Amino acid sequence: MSLFGNRKQAVPQAETLGDDAIVVSKLRKTFGDFVAVDSIDLTVKRGEIFGFLGPNGSGKTTTIRMLCGVIEPSGGTATVMGYDICKDPEKVRCNIGYMSQKFSLFQDLTVDENLRFYSGLYGLTAEKYAERRAYILKMADLEGRETELTKNLSVGWKQRLALGCATLHEPKLIFLDEPTSGVDPTARRQFWELLYDLANDGVALFVTTHYMDEATHCNRLAFIYRGDIIAAGTPQEVKAGLAKDTILRLDVDDGEGALAALQGNSAVAEAYMQGASLQVNIGHLSADEADLPAVLGSAGFLVHGVERVEPTLEDAFVHLVTEQGGRA
Amino acid sequence: MNRVLAIARKEFIHITRDRRLLATILLMPLIQLFLFSYALSFNVKNIPTAVLDQDNSTYSRQYVSALQQSDYFTVNRDLSSMSQVNGVFAQNQANVVVVLSPTFGSDIAAGRLGAVQLLIDGSDPNTAQVAQGYAAALSAVFGGRVAISRAQAKGVSTSGAAGITPSIRTWYNPEGRSANYFIPGLIVILLTTVTIQQTALTLVREKENGTYEQLVVSPIRRIELMVGKIAPWALIGALEVIIVSAIGIFVFQIPFRGSVLLFALGSLLYVICTLGLGLIVSARASSVETANQLSALLAVLPGFMLSGFIFPIANLPIVLQAVSYIFPTRYFMVITRTIFLKGGSFAVLWPQFAALAVFAVAIIVLAAASYRERA
Repeated sequence: MSLFGNRKQAVPQAETLGDDAIVVSKLRKTFGDFVAVDSIDLTVKRGEIFGFLGPNGSGKTTTIRMLCGVIEPSGGTATVMGYDICKDPEKVRCNIGYMSQKFSLFQDLTVDENLRFYSGLYGLTAEKYAERRAYILKMADLEGRETELTKNLSVGWKQRLALGCATLHEPKLIFLDEPTSGVDPTARRQFWELLYDLANDGVALFVTTHYMDEATHCNRLAFIYRGDIIAAGTPQEVKAGLAKDTILRLDVDDGEGALAALQGNSAVAEAYMQGASLQVNIGHLSADEADLPAVLGSAGFLVHGVERVEPTLEDAFVHLVTEQGGRA
Repeated sequence: MNRVLAIARKEFIHITRDRRLLATILLMPLIQLFLFSYALSFNVKNIPTAVLDQDNSTYSRQYVSALQQSDYFTVNRDLSSMSQVNGVFAQNQANVVVVLSPTFGSDIAAGRLGAVQLLIDGSDPNTAQVAQGYAAALSAVFGGRVAISRAQAKGVSTSGAAGITPSIRTWYNPEGRSANYFIPGLIVILLTTVTIQQTALTLVREKENGTYEQLVVSPIRRIELMVGKIAPWALIGALEVIIVSAIGIFVFQIPFRGSVLLFALGSLLYVICTLGLGLIVSARASSVETANQLSALLAVLPGFMLSGFIFPIANLPIVLQAVSYIFPTRYFMVITRTIFLKGGSFAVLWPQFAALAVFAVAIIVLAAASYRERA
């Protein structure tokens, strides 16, 4: 960086930044007529694991790309690590880490060569690089495998190496775009341990994921649907929206058939398959009032058992999406 | 600067890890060099020739031995009748049949023209054309010699009255060696293919692997990425020029008569053009496959077809001649051949240099623009 760049950077960051790693206000992105992100607001605090959830095509990646200073928003403002994403995209990029589901490693480079490359990209000094390299090799459990080609590593190791490359320059904010897709449960668990460690060190983590069990690990969540944030808060707060509803799990032989039979039933707010069993939200009714075994029985479906269950995040999101669908 | 180096170093590692690519870069120039210099010789020498001497006189035998003594014809068959001619051509025993009329000797002795019929196998037009030219020249020379000897026999002094003898001399390439012609051209072709194709692939590959995503969220600037990506290929291109030139000069004995500096300047301008073209393809192409095909088209069409490498531009259809002007290759081809064979100076070559400079600027502007909007 130039001298001038350094002088500008000397503005005391920590003070102006306060506790917030990301502050987004009315952020909007359109592609032609298509509204990808529709005036969203969100805040991510330092040391927080922030889960950003939503179906494919709902605007998750577009939001991340704006926050990383890769594409310009069509409207609204966002400050990332104290820098305006429109005015200072380069400063933003210097101060964030990024890891995508593709683990953007160079497959034909060795572990060491990958680390060295990112070190050069972020301009680490030789001493700093040596220190960070040692730390990352230990963290990723790759000691002794420095000269192995990256393509020969198994997925879990690749994932941890990718995290290592993304954190080489010690960013205080890391974007993780579906970092655990395609990774086995053990490796996922190990990976989340690493994320907790980072958060404990004061690093803010902005994570998108498809896995609901992972979403519950987050400090706070935002659920984006068709470019709009339709729910936000802690996992408990998001689930609380459903607390007064009754959710039943039915044990039926032909779940798909029973699901079809329940369509249009006035007692049923939402019904969907959860694994092999049928999950039904009957709103404020009680199980007896809805009497689903009788309803299904008359349609020819034998119900083996009915059980009331606590709403999960997944129930909450199905509920939110159904609501949105009804509104649209 | 550090970031440019980081990218360039990484690119070199990619290259050294990719054996097929490495083989292509190192072996292709050598294979092409030997192919074009040996196998594809356009020199016409020792044309297999059959003779049907229907006269068998002193003059006719003199004519045949004149043919034989020239390097261009090798008389390997004596025919006894016209009916054999077809068989000779059909079995590829000769490309040329020389038929001397039964009155050849007596006509010349009487001061008339001796009739010689030349039958040429036209299935190889190039050889046919050259053979025709040689034979005509040879006959003229022979005719001149006969006239002179007859004049001497009559006691006329020939010192002042000698007939006009054509003396053919090919400048710059006196032996007419195709290596002299092809190797400088080959340098242009190699530089074109390597730089266009590889730069075209380099960014697209990164997009396909998802690593591009990672690069754009890093602090690297677009220009740093561009320079870091094309610098290794510029270097490899320069190396290939040097290697092929050296082999050409030292192994194939082709001349290098011009200024090394001027040639380096021309190469630099041209490489800027081709690297820029490669980057444009890279920014536009959606997949490695598209980039491959697009760049091959860009490199082969103007390189082989429209540069004058094999087909002289003047022999192309008018439309293609016009098209050749919009590719920088034809200008660099002239520069390279002129500097190697004629030693041309900047005073001679400035129009080509000016054209290359215009192309270089235009292509870089275009590359930067398409890169900004697509990447």
